[in-house]
Amino acid sequence: MPRDPLPSFGTPRAPDPDPERKPSVEALTNNLQVIFQGLALGSIYALVALGFVLIIRATNVVNFAQGDFAMLGGYAMVLFFSALGWPYALALVAALVVMAIFGVLFNYGVYYPLRHRSFLPVLISTLGASIFLQNTVLAVFGPQPRPLEKTLPVDGINVGGVFLDSQYLVILAVTLLLVLGTYLFFEKTLLGKKLQATSQDKDMARLLGIPVALMISITFIYSAVLGGIAGVLVGPILFVSIGMGSIIALKAFAATIIGGFGDVTGAIVGGLLLGVIESLAAYHISVPYKDAYAFLALFLFLLVRPQGIFGEKVSEKA
Amino acid sequence: MRFVSLTAVAALAILTAAPAVAQDTIKIGIVVEATGPNAEAGVFTLNGAKLALEEINAAGGVLGKRLELKPEDNQSTNPGTVLAFSKLFGEKGIVSIIGPIRSTQIQAASPTIAKAGIPTMIGGTDPSLTKVNNRWVFRGRPNDSYSSRVIADFGVNTLKKRKWAIVHSTDAFGSGGMNALTASLKALGITPVLVQGYTNNSQDFTPVVLAVKKSGADIIGTYMTNSPDVGIFAKQLRQLGVSADWVGSPSLVSVTAMELAGPALNGVHSVADFTPDASAESKAYTAKYKAAYKLDPDVYSSWAYDAMRILARAIGDAKSTEPEAIRKGIVGIQGWKGVEGTYSFDDKGDGLRGYNVVRIDNGKVGFIKHIDFKD
Repeated sequence: MPRDPLPSFGTPRAPDPDPERKPSVEALTNNLQVIFQGLALGSIYALVALGFVLIIRATNVVNFAQGDFAMLGGYAMVLFFSALGWPYALALVAALVVMAIFGVLFNYGVYYPLRHRSFLPVLISTLGASIFLQNTVLAVFGPQPRPLEKTLPVDGINVGGVFLDSQYLVILAVTLLLVLGTYLFFEKTLLGKKLQATSQDKDMARLLGIPVALMISITFIYSAVLGGIAGVLVGPILFVSIGMGSIIALKAFAATIIGGFGDVTGAIVGGLLLGVIESLAAYHISVPYKDAYAFLALFLFLLVRPQGIFGEKVSEKA
Repeated sequence: MRFVSLTAVAALAILTAAPAVAQDTIKIGIVVEATGPNAEAGVFTLNGAKLALEEINAAGGVLGKRLELKPEDNQSTNPGTVLAFSKLFGEKGIVSIIGPIRSTQIQAASPTIAKAGIPTMIGGTDPSLTKVNNRWVFRGRPNDSYSSRVIADFGVNTLKKRKWAIVHSTDAFGSGGMNALTASLKALGITPVLVQGYTNNSQDFTPVVLAVKKSGADIIGTYMTNSPDVGIFAKQLRQLGVSADWVGSPSLVSVTAMELAGPALNGVHSVADFTPDASAESKAYTAKYKAAYKLDPDVYSSWAYDAMRILARAIGDAKSTEPEAIRKGIVGIQGWKGVEGTYSFDDKGDGLRGYNVVRIDNGKVGFIKHIDFKD
C-alpha cells in the first residue's frame, strides 16, 4: 500500500499558517475551492454531454447508453492497468482502442438496424443497450467498485488554501484540449465538414457523395472514445463502478438541454455551468439537495428558455 | 414375467422411498442482493450462510435432516425484497428465512413477514425494526442504538473529545443513525456543533468537508451507507486539511470501502459488529472463510454465518420446524458465542447489545476494545 504523506485522522491539526487571516479571505478560499470542484465535475458532465450532442446531431437520437460508455472506459482501464499491469500510457491507448471498436459495434448492433425507423425505437434500443452493458460488466467484473490510479503520480497542490486535486486539474486540461480539438476537427477538416453535412441533412449529403453510413459510424466511434476518456479520467475520483455512468449521464443530459439541445458549445457550457451551480448551491444552501439544484436549473431553463443557452428558436430543420 | 417385473418395480419403489424420506431436507430461504447496486454485499452474505450450512450438514444436519438453502434475489430494491419474500413464503416447506442487511428493505417487507408468520433473521440495524409489533423478525446483529452509544462512549470517554460533528447519509439507515447518535451524545451532555446530511452517491464532498472545517469540530461521527462515498469523503477530508478524530458506523471497515479509500482511512476508528481478531470464534471463522473463498470476511458474511447457526440451533433446541417452536428456540438462546459476539435474545428479537471498536492503519483493521451494554 502506498504511503500517504498527509497526517492520519486523530493527529493534532497542523498549526494555522495564517491565524490573522480575515474571515472574508477564508470565505473567498472556500468559495474558490467549491467553484474549482464544480468546474472539474462540470468538465466530466461536459465530456459526456459532448458525446450526447454528437450523436443527437448525427442521428437525431438521444443515446441513453452514453453514460455507460464512460463506465466501459473505466473498466477497460481497470483491466489493462490495474489487472494486467500494463504501463499507464499503453493501458490508456488500449482502453481507447477498445472504446473505438466498441463504438463501431454499438453503431451496427444498436443504431444501424433501426436507422430507418422513427426516433423512438432507436431510443429504446439504446436504453436496452445500457441495461445489457451494465449487466454484462456486472457478470464479468463483479459488483465491487474498483479504485483506479490517478493519471499523475501526485495527489495535488495547495494554492493559497485552495487544494487543487491533480486529477481534477488533468480533467480540466483534457476537457479543454478535447473541446478545442473537436472544434478544429469539425470546422477545419474535410472529414469534420462531411460529418457536419451528414448531421444537417442526410439525403443532401448522400447526393453530394458523402458516405453517410460511414460518417455515422465515425460519429459513434468518436462519441464512444469521448465517453471512455471521461470514464478513465473520473475513475480515480468517483471510482469505477457499474452505476458510475448513470449518475454522470443524467447530469450530462440536463447539461445538453441547458446548453441548447444538439449544440456543441452548449453542451460544454451547460456541463460546466451545471457543475458550478450544484457545487455552489450545495455549499451555500444545503448539501442533501445537491442533485435537486441541477434539476431545478434544468426546470428553470425549460420554463424560461426552453431552447437552451445556445439553442435556436426552431430546432428542427426543414 | 409381467408379474415379476411389477413386483420388482414395487420393491424398488419401496426401497427408494425409504432413503427419500431420510434425505428430506429442512429448507431455509435467504433473500440477498444478487443483482443491482448492492450486489457486492449479496455475494458475501450468501458466502457466509453457505459456509455455516456446509458445517452444519457435515456435522450431521439438524433433527437428522440436511439443511438446504433457497436463495432469492431482491435486486437491491424494496419492491424486489417484498417480492422475494412473497416468493419464498409461497414455496412449500420453507421453515425460516435469512433476510437482507438493509434496514429500508426490511421495513418494506416487514408486513409480509408478519403476515406469513415465519421466523426471519434480519441484518438491518435500524432500532425500530424489532419494535413494530412483528414477532417474527430476529436481528443477527446489534442495532444502531448500540452502535451510536458505542461511538459516543468511545469518542467522549476514551478519546476525550467533546466537539462533535455528525455526518450522515439521508437514507433510512443514515438518518436513523444520526438520530441515535444525537440522542447518545445528549445522554453524555453533548450537543453536536454540526449535523450534516448528504445523499448517497454524492460525487463531491467539498461542501460537507468545508462545513466540518468551519464548525471547528475535533471529532467526526458518521453514518455513511455506500463504500464509494466513504472513499471520496475520506480523501477530501485529508486534502482539505481536516485531521480530527473520526469514529464511524461499520460501513467504514467494509472490505470495499478500505480498498477504495486505501491509506486515506489511516487513523479512522469505526465500530464493527464483526472484527476478525476480536474473539476466538471470530478468529476461527476468519480462517475458515479465507480458506473457502480466498477473501477476507466482513460483516456482510459474518452476520449471515451467525444467523444460519442460530436458526439451526433454534430448530435443534425446539426439536420442531413449526414457526412458534422455532421462535421459542431463538428467544431461548442465551449467552451463545457467535462470531459477532455473545447472543442473548430478548422477546423483541434483539440478540446483541454491543460493538467492537476498531482502528484502521495502513489497510489493516486493529481491534481496540469491545463495549457491551446491559440494557
